Amino acid sequence: MADLEKLITVAKETVSRDDVKYLIGWRQGTYGFRVSPHFITEPEEADKLIFSPLCSNNLATYLTLVEKLPVPRGQEADTRKIALMVKGCDSRAVVQQLVEQGIKRESVIILGCPCQGVVDLAKVEEKFPAGLEQVAARWDDGKIVFQFSDGEKAVPREEVLADKCLRCRYPNPVLADTLLWEEVEAGSSSDEYADVSELEAKTPEERWSFWEAQFSSCVRCYSCRNVCPMCYCEDCILDRLNPTWVNRSNNISENTAFHLSRAFHLAGRCIECGECERVCPVNIPIMTLNRKLTKEVREKFAYEPGTDPASKPLQASYRPNDQENFIL
Amino acid sequence: MDNMKLPKEKVGDFLAKLGKEKFRVPQQMEGSSKFAPLNGESNADFTLSNTTVPPKSIFYPQTETLYRYNVGETAMEAPGEVDEMIIMGIRPCDARALSTVDKLFTWDPVDPYYKSRRDKATMVGLACQEPRTNCFCTSVGGGPASTEGLDILMTDLGDSYLFQVLTEKGEKICQEAGDILVKSDDSDVQAAEKLHNDAAQKIVRGIDSQDIPEKLPQLWESEIWKKVSDPCLGCGACTFLCPTCHCFDIQDEVEGLEGRRCRVWDSCMFKEYTLHTSGHNPRPSRRERTRNRINHKYSYFVDKFGVIACVGCGRCINLCPVNIDILNILSQVKEAL
Amino acid sequence: MSEQFEPNVVAFLCNWCSYAGADLAGTSRIQYPPNLNVIRVMCTGRINPLFVINAFQQGADGVLVSGCHPGDCHYMEGNYFARRRFTMMKELLDYVGVDNKRFHMSWVSASEGAKWKDVVKSTVDEAKEVGPFAQFQRNKINW
Repeated sequence: MADLEKLITVAKETVSRDDVKYLIGWRQGTYGFRVSPHFITEPEEADKLIFSPLCSNNLATYLTLVEKLPVPRGQEADTRKIALMVKGCDSRAVVQQLVEQGIKRESVIILGCPCQGVVDLAKVEEKFPAGLEQVAARWDDGKIVFQFSDGEKAVPREEVLADKCLRCRYPNPVLADTLLWEEVEAGSSSDEYADVSELEAKTPEERWSFWEAQFSSCVRCYSCRNVCPMCYCEDCILDRLNPTWVNRSNNISENTAFHLSRAFHLAGRCIECGECERVCPVNIPIMTLNRKLTKEVREKFAYEPGTDPASKPLQASYRPNDQENFIL
Repeated sequence: MDNMKLPKEKVGDFLAKLGKEKFRVPQQMEGSSKFAPLNGESNADFTLSNTTVPPKSIFYPQTETLYRYNVGETAMEAPGEVDEMIIMGIRPCDARALSTVDKLFTWDPVDPYYKSRRDKATMVGLACQEPRTNCFCTSVGGGPASTEGLDILMTDLGDSYLFQVLTEKGEKICQEAGDILVKSDDSDVQAAEKLHNDAAQKIVRGIDSQDIPEKLPQLWESEIWKKVSDPCLGCGACTFLCPTCHCFDIQDEVEGLEGRRCRVWDSCMFKEYTLHTSGHNPRPSRRERTRNRINHKYSYFVDKFGVIACVGCGRCINLCPVNIDILNILSQVKEAL
Repeated sequence: MSEQFEPNVVAFLCNWCSYAGADLAGTSRIQYPPNLNVIRVMCTGRINPLFVINAFQQGADGVLVSGCHPGDCHYMEGNYFARRRFTMMKELLDYVGVDNKRFHMSWVSASEGAKWKDVVKSTVDEAKEVGPFAQFQRNKINW
């Protein structure tokens, strides 16, 4: 059970340490059910921290999103640690970043928050249209309770939880320096990739017309790329002009190339936090694309990214007996 | 010209009479909504509030060919003429956004691509009756029934739309429609006015924007920019879907020996937006980029053109993945001084 | 004479095995379909999967990637990495609706001129069967 007092105490202790630059957690947003990442440098700011079913942001992305500005001459680089609150899925992102050596273990402090699932904002706002009032929420025995000013409203968790949470197999952090409260029961959820199989069962023409409609609506704002904790190349191919891998123009050819490149770069790396799909302003089912590759990776290579800090990245390793029945 | 009424059951006739191919109407697509041409069946949805993709995409599309050429030759082929358009169901805030952006595109030099589309378009606006939580048009000089930038203002009266004709272009439409439109009387106008006032009352968010343009420059080095930009992901959702954001990038795209020069939307929230060839970036982090976005809307544009380049449509607040809320930033700006 | 569709197939061949195998097919006067645009690379491990997406964008009707048999790589392990990559690439392309018959991978050694002929023939035949590629080709788009 989420223990807010413990969380704030630990956060205050952590952020007071000399070797900690800042701590990243969640705070209530400016209206409705929104939550915003909260960057803390002073202990008193920790009072605003929350942990609730509304905290869907994967904060691991900020570990690699931070701009590396040139250090002025005569100054030393700031090598202090960054403290980070993680849910189960977020911790997989941290692990995968460690596996890929995108971050250094000694540069992060991981505060693990065992999690009972976060909500899908669209599902919630369908039930309770978002008003200006800031609404908090909490877990309560199979239900999500929303705390409105005129009383509480409980909803069965299945009705509002994000799809990724309904099939979550890693509710507890895979890796943490401090576990903030006791682990939650992993439950019996399994992941059969029903969404992927449904699409696979269609003909290639049907599949293309599905994706064609989806890719055409893309506005190329790149929020899916930027929010992804695994997308942290310093020089992304999408920004490059020489060679131009993907033209800037928005049409079905370039949009498809963009989505295929993005998905492929996550093959064997996607930890299924679902952030890309959550942030998409035009609601492209990006996870349905990513999950095809996670499924293949799991079936063909028995690999699950972000679960073992000692593993090697899938595409930087091989087994001589990898299956190859498609090769002529 | 007198005010007219379009009975709802006649909407189909109205579209057909004026020529369906001319219309750009709000439509619900897969996961988002936008303005698109009518195709076949009437698929206009006038009940949508703001479309996800603003109607700016009609006037400066995300990708626009400036000219085509063949590699090794000097001849250039300019794109063809634009046809007449009727933008029906545009919300007053989006129409105001276009008249705001007009100031820039018709400044120096006049942008022929944008101008020709604007000249060919008749704007039939639809007054807002159900403003959303994050609408704040009344704080930046607009309103749910603002007529700025419109040729006709439509108001949903239940079983019909009241057409308040504002310009000659609008009159022309009404004449063309002929007897599909029926005469309206004073009671309709009074009913519409009541609806307009009610809608304005329903707007819950807002800020007094009066002194913001003045204050902003003094906050250049303020610590609020770091604070508000900390969670920013640096994506282009806020700018691409903003009805007044108009930055673009020019690209040459060559396929074999055929090439085109085109301009595509660009966003000041991207790192590469200000990146120099030398590798130097004058806006090196998201702090500077966020500061620029707010300053451009509430200070630079005001200095140059006398209006705030924000119409309060609320899209950036609704669509930001990390709840960066422009009203919240503005209230911090006001507090900081 | 009726116009028969002649597919444009882009083939990425590794320098040491498949390119030499194709060479052998030539010097041995083995006939195979001329629809191939060969791009020689040093190793299949050098073939960025984005090459495949790009080939389709630029007008390929089919793509073939060919290299040394496992264990024979000139650089010891390049083809093992390629095998993993293209296993996933093939699945991804199929999933978005690019027909499975448009993308192939093969192992052809320098001595397998006859196998090369078979591989090319089946690749070209399959591309012929599914017809011209138009799904996300660049010049199919109204610029």
